[in-house]
Parts: sequence; structure tokens; C-alpha cells
Amino acid sequence: MSAVDHAPPAAPRLPGGRLLHALRSLWRRWFLWLLLAILVLALLVTVVWLAGRHEVEQVQAVLERDTADAVADLRSGLMRNAQSLQALQAGGLGAERWPAEAGALLRAHREWLRLEWRDAALRPLAVVDTPYRARVFDAASRDATQSDVALACAAAHKLRGAAYAPSHYVPLPEGGVEVMEMCLPAAGGGFLVATYSLRGMLVEMLGPALTRGQEVSLAEADGTRLVSVGTARRIGNRVFTAQQLIDLPGAALMLRVDGWRAAPDLFPNLLTALVTGMSIALVSVLVLLARDTRRRLRAERELADTLAFRKAMEDSVVTGLRARDLQGRTTYVNPAFCEMVGFSAEELVCAPGEPPRMPYWPTELAHEYQQRQGIRLAGGLPPREGFESMFMRKDGTRFPVLIFEAPLINAQRVQTGWMSAFIDISEQRRVEELSRASQERLQASARLATVGEMASLMSHELTQPLAAIASYATGSLNLLDASALPPTDRDELGMAMRRIAEQADRAGQVIRSVHDFVRRRDRIREAVAPHALFDAVLPLVQLGARKRGVRVDLQVDAQLPPVLCDRTLVEQVLLNLARNGLQAMESSLAGERTLVLRAARAVAAGSESRRWIAFSVADLGGGISAEVNARLFTPFFTTRSEGMGLGLSLCRTVVEQHGGVLMHEPNRPRGTVFWFTLPVAEPASALAFGSSSALPFPEPA
Amino acid sequence: MQPLIDAVIFIVDDDASVREALAWLLRSRRLSSEHFASAEAFEQRLAEMPESDQPRCLLLDVRMPGTSGLVLFDRLAERGLLEEMPVIFLTGHADVPTAVDAVKRGAFDFCEKPFSDNALVDRIERALGVSLHAIEAARARRRLTVRIEELTEREREVMRRIVAGLPNKLIADELAISVRTVEVHRARVFEKMEVKSAVELANLLRDV
Repeated sequence: MSAVDHAPPAAPRLPGGRLLHALRSLWRRWFLWLLLAILVLALLVTVVWLAGRHEVEQVQAVLERDTADAVADLRSGLMRNAQSLQALQAGGLGAERWPAEAGALLRAHREWLRLEWRDAALRPLAVVDTPYRARVFDAASRDATQSDVALACAAAHKLRGAAYAPSHYVPLPEGGVEVMEMCLPAAGGGFLVATYSLRGMLVEMLGPALTRGQEVSLAEADGTRLVSVGTARRIGNRVFTAQQLIDLPGAALMLRVDGWRAAPDLFPNLLTALVTGMSIALVSVLVLLARDTRRRLRAERELADTLAFRKAMEDSVVTGLRARDLQGRTTYVNPAFCEMVGFSAEELVCAPGEPPRMPYWPTELAHEYQQRQGIRLAGGLPPREGFESMFMRKDGTRFPVLIFEAPLINAQRVQTGWMSAFIDISEQRRVEELSRASQERLQASARLATVGEMASLMSHELTQPLAAIASYATGSLNLLDASALPPTDRDELGMAMRRIAEQADRAGQVIRSVHDFVRRRDRIREAVAPHALFDAVLPLVQLGARKRGVRVDLQVDAQLPPVLCDRTLVEQVLLNLARNGLQAMESSLAGERTLVLRAARAVAAGSESRRWIAFSVADLGGGISAEVNARLFTPFFTTRSEGMGLGLSLCRTVVEQHGGVLMHEPNRPRGTVFWFTLPVAEPASALAFGSSSALPFPEPA
Repeated sequence: MQPLIDAVIFIVDDDASVREALAWLLRSRRLSSEHFASAEAFEQRLAEMPESDQPRCLLLDVRMPGTSGLVLFDRLAERGLLEEMPVIFLTGHADVPTAVDAVKRGAFDFCEKPFSDNALVDRIERALGVSLHAIEAARARRRLTVRIEELTEREREVMRRIVAGLPNKLIADELAISVRTVEVHRARVFEKMEVKSAVELANLLRDV
């Protein structure tokens, strides 16, 4: 294949246009994949984001719940404390016993800093400080002037229950404390004032779990942080905050819980991890899918190429192809088969379910073919070298075909039918017929020529002695006339001599009539082109040459003028000489077997007025020995056991009848050349018989 | 046997028995012959043969190995020998058409083998007659040429005018010589050409 074949078949287009086209097709092919990738990515991001948010919400919710629980704990703690204080008072304790009871209570409740028993005017009756820390308050600051406490007590009096004062800060040398007072009306018109440490409240009244890892603080309603406990250990940099109001009678506090979390955490929990993992798996599957698709595309393209190649192959072959399924229905035919039988593919191919039909079966043979097909479908194997059959074209003409059949086996190794190849052998048949006819014609003329030659030889060989006999008889008669013999003797002798002459003459007549009988077709002379003579015998020569492995070299100038000859006889001469040449080379080396057939102009010895064509047959055989040479043209002499010995003498007779000569000479480097001459068919000789305008052959250039 | 006629017949045939039989037949008719086995042998003899006025004739076999009768015939025709040596072809029946062709091209006759009675010899005698005539004609031509060459230039001019039929006076006028001189030339021409009258002279010169 040349480079030209690879050039694009379409007219050259602008490179920009081609680029655009390529881009468009690329875009069309990958657009869906791109969209899918974007969607998957979006889904992934959304899912991760949602998971993260869910996580945050969960944390927040936990925090809120914890806060609510803490508030409830605080409330119930405060209530319990209030009840404990109530219980302290309920026993009707005197001023002397109260401090001891209160001290015990303080030991149990570390959140309290001080318990005061005050009278109705809020003057302290008894005071107990917490044993857990140094005194926080001095007496001076604890009197009735405390407005907050007074307000709280007033409210407590009104409520007949605990009331609280707003918190306040008590500065201390080692650091102040935030405190809050609770006032509880006591029996007898007094009040019990408990001072809570806010820090103590948080530490004592909330579970330790809450403050672990979280910062719990109390703040005023406006958000001002009053006190906070909990670790300063911060796990992450993200803070979650929950706050809840603790609405106490007389005071409102805000409980605030700050949780620290490592955020944003990409895989904060199992769900996100799972989602992420699945997303990764999804992307991987997508990538694999894309790769698989690409491989499939390539395979598809290759398959399409292969299919196109197969199709082109099936369309280009001259062999007809037909596939049948196991029910005998035609499932496929190629164009060569359609052309062969003259039906279109639609007429031949049966749809599934239809009964099988074979329109190309000759009607008279259909039954036989049906049986053959039955055998085939039953599993009978066809002969490997094919078999011959007769088919019918659409126009009804019959033609012979050579059929090769093989089982059709699919990819699962199951036989699905039969594949048949058909070769139209009508042309081959015709050529064979033609060649046989031409061979028979040549053989018949060879037989005739042989008989003729035998008659000719017989007549020649017999006329010579007869001529001598007749001459002697005539001479004797002449002498007898002039002799001095007695008349009776002379008459007797003369009669005998005349009889001898007459019998010789009679023998001559017999020969003549036999000769006339076999040579009736003599003297047919026509103008024949030299190459036509060779063409007539070449098929037969080639046949013999192939059998012996001889190369035949024909050297005939197409410009040669036609020769005047008896075509059949000259063909016979050429065939004889060629056969001799082939037989002479039987002992030669295989590579050196060449038979050269040549025709050329020649100048014959003698008349210059006639022109001649020399035909030669040259072999590379062993040559001719001197002994054979001497007897070469002798009739009935042969070097071959089956030969009759007439070939060469016949050839010479034929050539001489045409006025030519048959000669032979050694060939170079070895072998023998036989050549003979035939007269050129002169237009001038035709002129002598006809008008000048009717020249039978053109004047050769 | 009787004395032989002064003529020679050449026989060319590859078959010795035929040659000998023919020679014997010819001798029975007082004809002498020479025979040759091949065309080549005959040609060699022809080359060596001295010039002779003896009538001769060639019996030639058409079919022979080597140079065939026809080829030999063509060579003889080229050399212009067919007049003085007529050729009679001897043919087998098969070669009759060839022989007919040859006769058309100048052969004297052909005779088909086997030859019966004396027809062949009669033809040979006729051929010898032709040969003799041709030889004599040639000889006469040669003699005439010699005689004409003996004339002087003036005598030839006078002779041309005598043959044309001019009277002596006109000849004298044309050649600007006297009538007397013309008469002398005329007598000399008649004497040298061995004729007695102007008519005889004209007859003699017609062949030249």
C-alpha cells in the first residue's frame, strides 16, 4: 500500500474547521461524563457538608440538653437547699443550738458560704460561716442595710418561700468571690439568709461530667459572665455554646455552657466517614466505568473496522457464500452469490419462522437436492474437496457450481448451521470443452495426415521401382523393334514386354487412386498470420510442457505478414516438432527446460522473388547423434519405442508441398533447432486472380 | 547398338534404380545420358562442362534430399539456361501440382512416374529439338554479331539506311557522299553480310 491510500478521502478542509469538528465530537463524547463527575462531586460535597452540619447540630443538641439538665439540677438543688434550711428552722431551735445545727448543715453543703438567722428587721441573730474557707464577710458589711437582702427578704416574706437577691462581688485579698443571697422566711417572723458562692454552686450542685471538657459559667441576664468553672483545656478551636436562664424568685441567672470541639472536622464521625468512603468508592467505580467505556469504545471501533474489512472481503470475492441455519433456511448470502444466481439478497434470505426456500434449485432436481440437504442437516459431513452441483439462474438457465460446505459454529462452540462456498465452473467447463474439441480436431487431422503421409510415402517408394520397371520394359521394346530376331519370337517377347509395361502402369494407377482418396482435401491454401498458427497449437504444447516442467517461450513478431498454407497441416507440423522438442528435453535438468517457438522473416535459397517466413522450434535437449541424423527423415525410422516414425517425414512432406524446406541444425548451447519455411501470402498473387481493389491482405509494413 | 545421336541428357534423381533404368531406356532410343544422384553433383558437373553446341536436356526429380529439384530449377532459371537446356520434371503423383507450377515458371514439361511407353522419350526428343534450335539461334546470333562488327562505321550507317528501304540517291544525300560511293559501300555490306539482296539483309537483321 502506498502513502496515497492513507490520505483522507474527503477534500482537504481548513485545519481550524477540522479542529473545531474534533473538539465538538470530543465535547459530545465527554459531556455526559463531565456532567456526571460534576454531579457526583456536588453530591459528595453536599453529603459531607450535611453530615458535618448534622454533627454540629448533634453536638449543639447534646450541649443544650446538658445545659437544660444542669439548670434543672441547679433548681432542684436550690430547692432542696431551701427545704433543708426550712427543716433547720422547723425544729424551733433556740439561738444557742442553732449555730451547731447550721454548722453541720454548712459542712454538708459546700456551696454555702454563710448562714444567717435574722430577725424580722433583718438584724442578724446568729451567723455561721462555712468551715471550708476563711471568713469572707466581716460583720460590718452584714447588717440590715443590705438593700439587696432586704428586697429579697421582702419578696420571701411575700412569697412565703425562698427568694434570692441579685449576685454581687465580694472582693477579697486572695481574689474576690461572686456571691448570691437567698432569703427564707423563718418561723417567728425572722429570716434565714444563706449566702451562696456561685462558684460553689457550679462545682457542688452540677455533676462533674458537665464541667469535664466544658466550661460552665453563670452570667447575668445581659450576658455578663459572673463566674465560670471547667477546664481551660480546649480540644479544638470551635466553640459550641448553650445557655439557659435560671429564673429564681428575685434574681435571674444565665447558665452558659461552652464546649470546645475540633471543627471543621472532615470525618467527624462514622456517618461522614461512611458517606465519604462510599463517595470515594463511587468515584472509583465511575473512573473504572469510564475506563471500561473507553476500552469498550476502542473495542467497538476495532470491531467495526474488522467488520468493514470482513464485509469488503465478502463483497470482493468472486466465490459465492451462503449460510444456512439448522432448519435449512438461508440466513446470509454475499453479493457474489446473488450475482451468480441472479436473485437479490432479499429474495434469498429467509426470515426466522418462514419455511426454507431455494429458488436457485432447478425444479427437476429440487427433490434430489432436498434429500441431500436432509442428509446434511442430519449431520452428514460433505466431502472436503467439494462436490459439483447444478444451479438455476433467475432467468431459468442452468449452470454448474462447485460447492464446499463446512459447519457454522458460533462463539459458544455450538453448530448453528452450515456455511457453503460456491464457485461458478461454467466458464471452466466451457474452456475444458473447447480445449478437448480442439485437441480432438488436431488429433483427427493428425490421423488423417498420417494416413495421407503413409499413402504418399507408399506411392513415392513404389513409383520409383515401377518407374524403373516401366523404363526397362519400354527400352526392351525399343531394342526388340530394331533387333534381327525371328518375327514370331519378336512378337512373343514384345507382347510380354508390353504386358510388363501395362502392369507397371496399372500398379501406378492403383497407387494414384489410393492417393487421390486420402488426399482429397489437398491444396487448400489460405493466408494465415504466423501467430495464429502458434496460437492454435500452444494450448496443447503447454499441456505437454507443464507435464514435463518445460517453459515455453513464444517469439512471434505481430508485424509478420500472413503465410499461404494449409492451416491444419502446418499446425500439425508445428505440433510434431514441438512434441519432439519436449521429448528431447526429458533428460535435461529441470531448470534448463525451455522450448523456444519463433517465427521470423527468412531469405530462402533460390528464388528471390518470393518472400518467406521461417518457423523454428528450438529445444535444449541432448541434440541429435550422427547416426540418427543420417536416417532422420527416413520413413518409419524412430528413436521412440511407441513412435511410428512418420513425424518428421510427414513434416517434410507437408512443408515441401508448400514449396518450403524443413531443415535442422544444432542449437546453442545444446539441443536442436528445427526450422521450416512457408511462403508469404503476396498481395501480388492475389492481384493475378482478382481485381486490384480487392486485396485480401494488407501490404505488410 | 546403333550409333548415338549427338545430344546429351542429364538425369538427376536420388534413386539409383530409376537413374539406371532411364539411362537404359534412353540408350535404347540412341540417346546418351549422364546421371547424378543429387542436385549438388549436377551443379558441380555443370560448372566444369566446356562450352558446347551439343543439344541437351535435364530430367529432374522434384523430391530429393538436400537441394530439391525445384531449388535447382530456380537457380538454372536465374542463370538463363532454360532455353538451351530445357528441364523436364519427373514427379510422383503427389508432386504433380508442384510440377505444374514449375512448368508455369518456365520448365519444358513434367512427366509422372511411372512413365509408360515412349512418351517420356518423345518429350525428351522434343526438348532436344528446342535445345538444338536455341543453340543454333544463339550461334547464328553470335555469327551475325561478328559480321556486323566487321563492318566499318560508314558501312554500318549505309546498311541501316538500306534496311530502312532508302534508295542509293537519298542515302548519298543524307551522308553527303556521291551515289557512286554509296554503291561501293552497298556492295561491300552485301559481301560482308553474305547476302544477295536488301530483302535478305532485312530478314537477317530482324532477329538482332
